Amino acid sequence: MLSMTEQTPSPNPAEAPIDPLSTHPASPFLRTEVPPAVAFASPPNVVQQVPIYSTWVVYRTQIEFGLAILAYLMVLVGSVIVVQANPQAGWRYFVVVLPVAPAGFVIWLTVRSLAKLDELQKRIQMQAFAFALGWTALITFGYGFLEGAGLPHLNWTYILPLIAVLYALGAVIFTWRYR
Amino acid sequence: MKNRLRVLRAELAWSQAELAAKLGVSRQTVNAIETGKYDPSLPLAFSLAKTFKRQIEEIFEAEGSRV
Repeated sequence: MLSMTEQTPSPNPAEAPIDPLSTHPASPFLRTEVPPAVAFASPPNVVQQVPIYSTWVVYRTQIEFGLAILAYLMVLVGSVIVVQANPQAGWRYFVVVLPVAPAGFVIWLTVRSLAKLDELQKRIQMQAFAFALGWTALITFGYGFLEGAGLPHLNWTYILPLIAVLYALGAVIFTWRYR
Repeated sequence: MKNRLRVLRAELAWSQAELAAKLGVSRQTVNAIETGKYDPSLPLAFSLAKTFKRQIEEIFEAEGSRV
């Protein structure tokens, strides 16, 4: 049955085998073969692999500082609310100093981050501290005399933000100086 | 102190950040040493000499040395 169909092609031209143009004796087309694959030398791997670190590794200091400051604000607001609700309670003194604990944690984080710095960065921080200490001393000392002359008495809690602002200013100044 | 850090670094085609990573310091510190604004400590100077495989005297030169 199979040999019969090979010898006698189907009368239907649609079913006739396709004559490839390139095999015809008068064909202008050339039979082409797929060229063999050329083995190029692989390019040198110049792209340096940048190590990928997790957010915790890269931003650990910032995250810890953020959480400590958040804890300070939460304890501060909580203690103020509790003391305002119980203005005559004997234990109110313990509650109002509670925000000092998370503030102390912020200071501990600051001291720990200083230990990680290199020698020039430590020098810059030391100069910034000296700047903050000197100006805080002069400003508080000067205002003390002004209070004696009649200016209103300011709260002691203004001193820590003053130190922080002067320290940040000093860090900017002395970082700029070593650029 | 004068130093040849920038020249030596250019010979090896290292960036400031690459040299800083090899020394374990910040790029800011490498830049301050190169521009002569900061003199490195003795341990850091030895690390630099070791990194460039040279003597300290080949890298740093004391200006107005009293000796």
